[in-house]
Amino acid sequence: MTRLFGTNGIRGVVNQDMNSSLALGVGQAWGTYLKRTVPHPTCAIGTDARLSNHMLKSAVTAGVLSTGCDMVDVGLVPTPTLQYAVKEKHFDAGIIITASHNPPQFNGIKGTAQDGTELTKDAEEAIEQIYFSKRFSHCNWSEVGTASTWAGAIDLYIEGILSQIDVPLIKKHRFHVVLDCGNGAGSLVAPMLLKKLGCTVTEMNCESDGTFPGRHSEPIPENLTALMKNVPEAHASFGVGLDGDADRAIFIDEHGSYIWGDRSLSLVGKYITKKRKEGVTVTPVTTSTCFEEVIRKNNGRVIYTKVGSPIVAAVMKQTHAVFGGEENGGLIFPEFQYCRDAAMSLATILEILATEQTPLSELIAEIPSYDMFKTKIPCPNEKKERVINLLEDDIKKHHEITHIDRTDGIKLYMKDSWVLMRPSGTEPIFRVYVEAKEKHHAEKIALFYKNLVDSLIQRA
Amino acid sequence: MCSVMNQPISQHIFRAYDIRGLYNKDISPDVFYKIGLAAGTYVKHTMQGTHICVGGDIRQSSQSLAHAFIAGVTAIGVHVSYTGTTSFGQTLFTGGTLKSDLIAFVTASHLPPEWNGVKFYYGDGVGFPEEHLMKIRDLVLQDSFSLASWDHIGQMTPRDATTEYKKFFVSRFHFKKKLTVALDCGGASMTLSAPEIFTSLGFHVIPVYCDPDPTFSKRPSDPKPKNLTTLVETIQKHTCDFGVAFDGDGDRSVIVDNTGQILSADQTGIIIGTYGLKKNTGTIIANVECSKSVKEQLEPLGYNVKQIQVGHTFLTLEAKQTQALLGIESSGHLILPEYFLFDDALVVPLKIAQILDKVNRPLHDLVLETPSYPTKKEEIECADDIKFDVIRNLQQELSKEYEQVNTMDGVRVDFKDGWVLVRASNTSPIIRLTTEADTPVLLQELSTRFLEKTQKIIQQKKTMR
Repeated sequence: MTRLFGTNGIRGVVNQDMNSSLALGVGQAWGTYLKRTVPHPTCAIGTDARLSNHMLKSAVTAGVLSTGCDMVDVGLVPTPTLQYAVKEKHFDAGIIITASHNPPQFNGIKGTAQDGTELTKDAEEAIEQIYFSKRFSHCNWSEVGTASTWAGAIDLYIEGILSQIDVPLIKKHRFHVVLDCGNGAGSLVAPMLLKKLGCTVTEMNCESDGTFPGRHSEPIPENLTALMKNVPEAHASFGVGLDGDADRAIFIDEHGSYIWGDRSLSLVGKYITKKRKEGVTVTPVTTSTCFEEVIRKNNGRVIYTKVGSPIVAAVMKQTHAVFGGEENGGLIFPEFQYCRDAAMSLATILEILATEQTPLSELIAEIPSYDMFKTKIPCPNEKKERVINLLEDDIKKHHEITHIDRTDGIKLYMKDSWVLMRPSGTEPIFRVYVEAKEKHHAEKIALFYKNLVDSLIQRA
Repeated sequence: MCSVMNQPISQHIFRAYDIRGLYNKDISPDVFYKIGLAAGTYVKHTMQGTHICVGGDIRQSSQSLAHAFIAGVTAIGVHVSYTGTTSFGQTLFTGGTLKSDLIAFVTASHLPPEWNGVKFYYGDGVGFPEEHLMKIRDLVLQDSFSLASWDHIGQMTPRDATTEYKKFFVSRFHFKKKLTVALDCGGASMTLSAPEIFTSLGFHVIPVYCDPDPTFSKRPSDPKPKNLTTLVETIQKHTCDFGVAFDGDGDRSVIVDNTGQILSADQTGIIIGTYGLKKNTGTIIANVECSKSVKEQLEPLGYNVKQIQVGHTFLTLEAKQTQALLGIESSGHLILPEYFLFDDALVVPLKIAQILDKVNRPLHDLVLETPSYPTKKEEIECADDIKFDVIRNLQQELSKEYEQVNTMDGVRVDFKDGWVLVRASNTSPIIRLTTEADTPVLLQELSTRFLEKTQKIIQQKKTMR
């Protein structure tokens, strides 16, 4: 069976592989799936700022209604805003039309369960199976679902965030924030949130625009150069760049330096475990050791998972974790909701700065520093399993390995370093990640294991 | 990723004036997605237009179908203003205000609730002619569409014009008296407009089935006399000045007078023509099925009564071309172009109320002034493949035989004391025979004579086949 869902929902180029016909079918499959467990489900739908949103939203809505589910349109919202609305307003499911940080010609369909968390693999597979078999449970004419709109999702979300943090304390500091929403859905929330927190806001790309005229939507360093320049020029406390659907936030310190996602993850993890003096945290195996170091210092514990935010969220829920997230700026605050949340990350960073009364650059400097190397090697999907087996045999000869972790691919721990080799879930590639205390050491290990994987792919 | 569409679309859903079918059988979101693609293509390429106004009636399947239609339209790169669930008139009003290239209203008009469909109007309120609708049909059946690139996808803007629509009526109608009117919306789309607007205009409203009920469980959505017993009783019980019943979407209304007598569209038209128009010159249009009393009553007042073929599309088109003051379709569509070119059923009872406010007489008095002649309607079964041939033959034959023969739609023969119309149904394998005469005896004679003529030709055609 062809796959519909990738690691982050269904994605494709608009009016090519991502078109109304597909969306109409997905809507019918989704509704059919929901009706298996709830007799008369109500689903919420929202979109990011892309130009094809209305088209795909209409198609999905038509499909969902035809199965007898009701649909409530919450409008143009960040993904976490929809997720929060689903949880708080007790919808039976949430659907968001977004392609996150992808270029504007892409769009996608992503879903949440009843509690607002991202769909599990099982749920995705069930929907796919219905889609491909075309076994839609179309209802009788008199039971077709009703569509309505609800404009309260953004207010609900902002109020929710404000209830989680120390608002008077933050307000007292009158922070100055340079905010770059990348013309994405965050434009609808982040400026308003910052103003409610008493911040002076220098806005960049804060009008939602589906052509993304300001910058590319992924908050990687090359897309945030203007933001990095503006922060010191504006003498701001810090800068923040959001991705297209505002589930990820990347921070820029007061000097204009880009803060990698695992370092902001570590800073927040450190703060939360320090406050609680303990706690379980969850992150994928790809995250830097700096996270574990700061958590352990506060008597916390780190549980590693496979790559993918839905898994992180699911494990957090099972283990009653106090915090979790990914190294790409996707932070999860379980007391608020079990999903990546850029606005909540932003509010928390403000609270940390207000509590610690120390500039962001200095707080980040306190996080231990490692050098990481990432590379990818082409590998046909059908060879992936064989390569893993060959790797397992081969590493038995490597005496420097202290511990082997099989959570996702193969992760080898050595003294002061680790290497992770994992086949991609979506692309025909093998990824190799290496982290070490020193740069030349990391490079050396990376080269060795890249060559090893390369030769095993040849042999497989 | 594969397509979800692989069932063939039935040709039969494409009818002369609209698209209609049974939901889940001939009509589904998948079908409406294709119709949306076709309508978008028609607007973009044939009309060189950019924008469609879309709304739907109160039927439970309308929202799903409207969304699927919008998904198709926007995929072509045509923008949509979506009015949501409204009466027919409110969506048409919105599309007119926005100067939309096309207006699409999801409805199956007066048909039972398990039916649905769509009808098209141009932005100026002129109905979509059959030959244009057939272009949409051909596009759907060809099933080959060129989709817009990502940066040219159509956008959808929700457009709730409830307030503007109400304001329009409040600004155009003023009453001195507080009339009591019974409103029978049949639980259908007019529940969304009529009670609120009548109340705003100062009427004392007695509601009959004015709660939205998409299953039409209280009465069938066709406002035929036999479906209006509750309305008639309500008028009598509450001594109303008059009553009105609407169909499923709100493009037809039936007026009931203060005694409970149900008026025909012709009678309503005559009363409006006699008392309700600003000047007594100009054109009034009436289709070939209308009573001869329309011409008899209105021409002496100074109007030119123009006969046109059956179909509300022609009514709107002809009204635009002739700048008519009033248009009457015997099936119940009435238009008053001083307000709208399209057949918003709301203007008819408001115009009647305006007349009552002015003339200060009970409606029944005015009804008594309009003569009503005996009429007879008959249906003759005739296969689709020969029915138009039969009519052509009749046209030739009768043109030789009689003096006053009109062949614009079927064949109508006028006599000094009566007339006969024989025409093929556009939608069913039926030939319809309508007769009107001054006396019942003549009625029977004319009806029998033309019935026999028609049946003889049908027999000839059948044997030739």
